Amino acid sequence: MTNSLLFGIATFVYFFAMVLYVSYLAFRSEVLGKVASISLLGGVVVETAAIGMRWYESYQMGIGRAPLTNLYESLAFFAWTIAVIYLVLERKFKIKTVGAFVAPFPFLIMAYAALNPNDIQPLVPALKSNWLISHVVSCFVGYAAFAVSFCVSVLYFIKVGAESRSPKSGGSFWGFLPSSSALDEIGYKTIAIGFPLLTIGIVTGAFWANVAWGTYWSWDPKETWSLIVWLIYAAYLHARITRGWRGKRAAILSIVGFAATLFCYLGVNLILSGLHSYGSMS
Amino acid sequence: MSADTPVKAVKTEGTDWVSKIWDFLTSLKLIIILLLILATLSITGTLIEQNKPLQEYYRIYQPGTVALFSKLGLFDMYHSWWFVVCLSLLALNITACTMERYRGIMAGMQKKNLILDEKLSKSLQNYTTIRYALPLTVIEAKMLERTGKAFPGKSLITKSDDGVSHYFFEKGKYSRLAFFMTHLSILIIFLGAMAGSFFGYKGYVNIAEGEMVSQLETRSGNIQSLNFQVKCNTFRAEFYSSGSPMDYRSDLSILQNGKEVIRKTIRVNDPLTFEGVTFYQSSYGALPDQVIIDVLKKGGSITGSVTIPFGRKVDVPGVSDKVEVVDYQEHFHLKNGEEGGRAVGVTIYPAKGEPMERWLLVDHPEYDQTQDGNQSYRVKDLQMKKYTGLQINKDPGEILVWLGSLLLIAGIMIAFFLSHKKLWISLRTDNKGKSELKIGGTANKNRNAFGIEMEQIIQDLKEIS
Repeated sequence: MTNSLLFGIATFVYFFAMVLYVSYLAFRSEVLGKVASISLLGGVVVETAAIGMRWYESYQMGIGRAPLTNLYESLAFFAWTIAVIYLVLERKFKIKTVGAFVAPFPFLIMAYAALNPNDIQPLVPALKSNWLISHVVSCFVGYAAFAVSFCVSVLYFIKVGAESRSPKSGGSFWGFLPSSSALDEIGYKTIAIGFPLLTIGIVTGAFWANVAWGTYWSWDPKETWSLIVWLIYAAYLHARITRGWRGKRAAILSIVGFAATLFCYLGVNLILSGLHSYGSMS
Repeated sequence: MSADTPVKAVKTEGTDWVSKIWDFLTSLKLIIILLLILATLSITGTLIEQNKPLQEYYRIYQPGTVALFSKLGLFDMYHSWWFVVCLSLLALNITACTMERYRGIMAGMQKKNLILDEKLSKSLQNYTTIRYALPLTVIEAKMLERTGKAFPGKSLITKSDDGVSHYFFEKGKYSRLAFFMTHLSILIIFLGAMAGSFFGYKGYVNIAEGEMVSQLETRSGNIQSLNFQVKCNTFRAEFYSSGSPMDYRSDLSILQNGKEVIRKTIRVNDPLTFEGVTFYQSSYGALPDQVIIDVLKKGGSITGSVTIPFGRKVDVPGVSDKVEVVDYQEHFHLKNGEEGGRAVGVTIYPAKGEPMERWLLVDHPEYDQTQDGNQSYRVKDLQMKKYTGLQINKDPGEILVWLGSLLLIAGIMIAFFLSHKKLWISLRTDNKGKSELKIGGTANKNRNAFGIEMEQIIQDLKEIS
């Protein structure tokens, strides 16, 4: 299938982007930095084509559905959204050095996706809904934003440590990173993008559940964990906006929030049971 | 955030404990702790599977643990009194904070400090002075035109005693209301959920093809009657060649006073709503419609056969017993653990003595002969009837939940991406006869972005010639 081939190529391109971003970090050459960004963008373009192709091929098979319904497809889409969100932030905040820490994610996620069955299965009746795309896309863009915020928060700790050891050079080896206060601000801005999207994801999910099963909230593990993630980031935002929590405490909440996000996305499916069966590893 | 500093609520008669409770209810500590407690409790609820039959818990836990957990309400914790207390505290906290912030937010929306004086200028960002050789009237006209592009709407003009004109512009004033939107929306969602659980019901019915129902048993165990009848005309299940389900659909009719008022084919994701009651495609199955049973004497000779419509008591030929078909299983489990295939559950009512229940295996007709008794039975013919399983739901609070959700999303968007921006400009002729323009602004959020916007405006004003 052409889509599998394209996904394979995208994985390789992501791998090169990762290598280039790390090299950029080591050699600080402007040219390397440009090539790194272009190759990550190239990976996104190839993967966009792969997703489009998979969609098209599902129609050719007479199934005709959006490629967002099993673990393989959701991982591939997750990798895609992380790459896209990062590229947008890189442009907006000029944080190319952060790329060495974010760019491994699309590659690793695609590599993990490749371990899962990738045949195009037809949809069970419950998934045949117009809500599928809006629900999945809003959730995953939110997850991806939280992933980037997580990377930035980890870097924040590295940077703060380096700054306190050698305050004059801005952290010697880590001097190339944005300042700790800039990282703190970027971490917040990213969550400010993710939080509304997660909210939309939860609401569209509730609406869909109500259309499909006649109940908008059933305390299913997936629902409950998405609420937990929402509560953690809500706590983060309240602490930051009304109490001015900055720096370490904010970064810790952002890291905890992403741990909960990961569990919500993968842990619930692999460990707990519930309505979202796409991740079961049977 | 000077304009947003919360205005303390008026203390009632100075009673100390009232203000203490109030301070507790509006504290950030309470909200953060509540959010984290709710998160922790929710995690617990996903680790201990909720609302399972008790025997399953005995399989997983020690009997003592089951008794303890059950007493603590950990098996149905989202409805336990302590979870509800936490949610109520959250609602109280939100209400109190909304009241606490009300005045501050309203004050921030008022037009005050209309005069750009020394004191105000210190609290503004991008405060700049520009001087022009052009006369004041020309500057005023061009200034209004250029600033109007960034700040549409009429400006407020005030003349101060020293002959200086002060212009006040603002936009995004109502973005301050986002606070009310996000917080009241949560209360509205809670209200909707409560309305649903007090005034609504959920239930489930099986309707065989060609039959109708006018009542259902709700989840809480009550019988709820409907003002109409629901009839299942047909049910169809389709499968992909791989065997996985493709489509379930029931052709339903709603009848009132014997007349059909609505007919619709429902599917998963496409329910039917009538008079606030919604019918969802939930499951399906088949039940015996009519069973023909051979009656055998001890030894194996047939004494007769009897046709039994499902759910009706029928006389057994030759004896004074009656028989009724009461149950059906697609995959019957034999005592030795093997699969016994299709089985019809019958109840025999002897003329004297207690009724007896028996399973007759369709695919193993000899099965019943191994039982005690003077006669045995075997299924000669089995006609099945399909039924559709419908989830039925009436929820008058639903509309509030969706209203609250929309308000929440809109409020979060506004809170993150819009801000209340204010701009002051003053114009005067200075002592050297030049026109002097002073400008400064503030935003209640995202000051960096506003700084860039201000620079653009200032650049435009500097280019007046």
